[in-house]
Amino acid sequence: MRHAISNIFSGLVLPGLVAMAAVAWSGVAFSEGLSTGGVMSEGDVNRGATTWANNCTRCHEMRSPTEFRDDIWKPVVAHMRLRGGLTGEQQRDVLAFLQASNSPRAAQVSFEDSTPGTGLSGKDIYSQTCVACHGANGKGAIPGVPDFTRPTGPLSKPDEELLHNIINGYQGPGSQMAMPAKGGNPELNAADVRAVLEYLHESFGQ
Amino acid sequence: MKHLTSQWRQTALAAVIAVALPLNAAADSTVGDDTYEALKSQVEMLQQQLQQIQETLKQYEQQTVTNEEVQELKQELAEVASQQSEWKNTDSIVHLAGYGDATYSDKEGSPGAFSGARFNPIFHYQYKDLLMLGAEMAIEVEDDGGTSTELEYTTIHLFATDYLAVGGGKFLSPTGQFRQNIHPSWINKLPTAPSGFGHDQAAPISEVGLQGMGGFLVAGLNINYGAYVGNGPILEIDAVDGEIEAVEAEGRTSNDDDKLVYGGRLGLAPWPNSEVGVSFATGEVAGEDEKNNATRDYDVYGADAAYKWRNLGLRGEFIKQKVGSAGSSAAPNSASWQAWYAQAAYRFMPTNFEGVVRYSDYDANLKNQDQEQWALGINYLFAPNAMAKLAYNFNDGKNNSNADDNAFQVQFAYGF
Ligand code: HEC
Ligand code: HEC
Repeated sequence: MRHAISNIFSGLVLPGLVAMAAVAWSGVAFSEGLSTGGVMSEGDVNRGATTWANNCTRCHEMRSPTEFRDDIWKPVVAHMRLRGGLTGEQQRDVLAFLQASNSPRAAQVSFEDSTPGTGLSGKDIYSQTCVACHGANGKGAIPGVPDFTRPTGPLSKPDEELLHNIINGYQGPGSQMAMPAKGGNPELNAADVRAVLEYLHESFGQ
Repeated sequence: MKHLTSQWRQTALAAVIAVALPLNAAADSTVGDDTYEALKSQVEMLQQQLQQIQETLKQYEQQTVTNEEVQELKQELAEVASQQSEWKNTDSIVHLAGYGDATYSDKEGSPGAFSGARFNPIFHYQYKDLLMLGAEMAIEVEDDGGTSTELEYTTIHLFATDYLAVGGGKFLSPTGQFRQNIHPSWINKLPTAPSGFGHDQAAPISEVGLQGMGGFLVAGLNINYGAYVGNGPILEIDAVDGEIEAVEAEGRTSNDDDKLVYGGRLGLAPWPNSEVGVSFATGEVAGEDEKNNATRDYDVYGADAAYKWRNLGLRGEFIKQKVGSAGSSAAPNSASWQAWYAQAAYRFMPTNFEGVVRYSDYDANLKNQDQEQWALGINYLFAPNAMAKLAYNFNDGKNNSNADDNAFQVQFAYGF
């Protein structure tokens, strides 16, 4: 009886494995993973922030985006794709996010930068770029992210300081995680950041 | 820009002087001695001033950057920039990760001792987005002062498609979660493994074989899988007592029972930072010295769940290894090893302290190995990858077996 079960399993599992491989292999056409000469979809910073916030604190504490240089994040994220069962696209998204988020703090990103900006509303920017870490309710989605709704929280600081910290990134004394410059989205310009700060005040401020 | 300004200044100065001199001279046409002297001294003064201005100009010009110099600088900058971005164009990357820890433990009935010093480097070699070799060594100081060196895993992975990576070599058993993903000391919230999840206990440790792993996104739901075929474990048999002492589920490069083991795990993430998974494996197994004279069925079943909600991390897992009977063996009876644990860790934000509670229960084939355990711990997180742990294990095992002795540990762990 036991033997029969075991035989059925091995009889099923091997063809199952082969079938799975075949299905996945047919995905080559999309991913071009095998011939790196082909064009793979570029990583998307916003999607990457969400994938990162939703997956990277499941097994261990969240590693801060500022922990490593761009070139080091590459093999780490490949390693974590294997550990966490991410897709190739998620791997590229998370890598794009981490590489965009580790720029040195106070990296002299000026207010008058020439980035064209997204032209999106503060609300849309928040729900694309900021929500992954700050959460829909502004209370912080992952440990280390402050609660915007606290009366003595970060939103009680002067606007100029907040604008500066959003644009350049910020890590307070003793804090374990840094706020990435522009939330990791290099497309935001000063007008976008003003719009999103206004949204923060409206939605979470006192 | 600076260059232009200096040219403009020179021209302007010349113009002012050109206008000023004749104007001065024409001021009075009937020139008396006094006037002459006055004019003369005025001219001398002007000459002096002119000289001064010329000198200042010369100095100014020396400090000013020429067009050529700007070009040179630009070229240098371009070179530096291209060097800086070199890594983006390289085909191969070498990377070192891993962890180390230091442990002190004091167990009832045995003297307290600095009981652990470990260094586990992980090497990564990545070729484009195509290949990755990952290998971890476990280097550990032993009781007698020697050092043990083991290859925890070494796997070459081929990223075949966005949904599949194929790997061969020695890898951590894809069944369950603790041995694969939670055991590194900077990740594990307690200094010890749960009862039954250590070496030669209920949870398979590693395999030598081939594995396929990856993930899919179905309607926004993350599904991940790992499937493998490997040589499978062997049994440690006590021929005198006619008992199976343990199943050694650690990857080996021999296959005594002549049959491969197949298995895998399927996981889904219903919510952010959550996962539920089921695992199984099946094949055959033989005793260490009996080889394929006495083979028997081998099966593994497992289920696991994890959820991280804000400051609270919950996880639990069940695992069972089971072997059938084999009439021709010195230990003919069937046997099983099963264990489960449930753990909660809570971070007291905004401090770096964390409290941990874990319950685990291990039922072994030999009753004197059974253990039930409550583990309590307090951790201090210096960083997400560095923590100091203080823990106490309340152990309940068969009376007078060392599975019954309580234990206290302090550990410092750092992952890099
Ligand atoms: C399924 C569990 C799991 C998930 C999900 C996971 N990790 Fe890991 N991570 C591990 C384990 C286990 C290690 C230790 C390395 C090892 O043992 O191979 C590790 C190690 C690391 C390291 C140390 C460097 C290295 O390469 O070993 C970093 C940084 C890291 N993870 C970041 C991340 C990020 C970013 C994500 C999200 C994409 C993530 N992890 C998701 C399990 C996980
Ligand atoms: C990767 C996660 C992450 C993302 C994405 C992110 N933040 Fe933050 N943010 C943080 C963390 C962490 C802090 C706390 C840093 C600290 O106190 O050291 C923070 C702090 C802040 C603060 C308070 C700064 C201060 O001076 O105390 C503001 C304002 C803020 N974020 C706005 C935003 C906005 C707007 C966006 C989207 C454009 C965004 N964040 C995206 C992680 C993130």
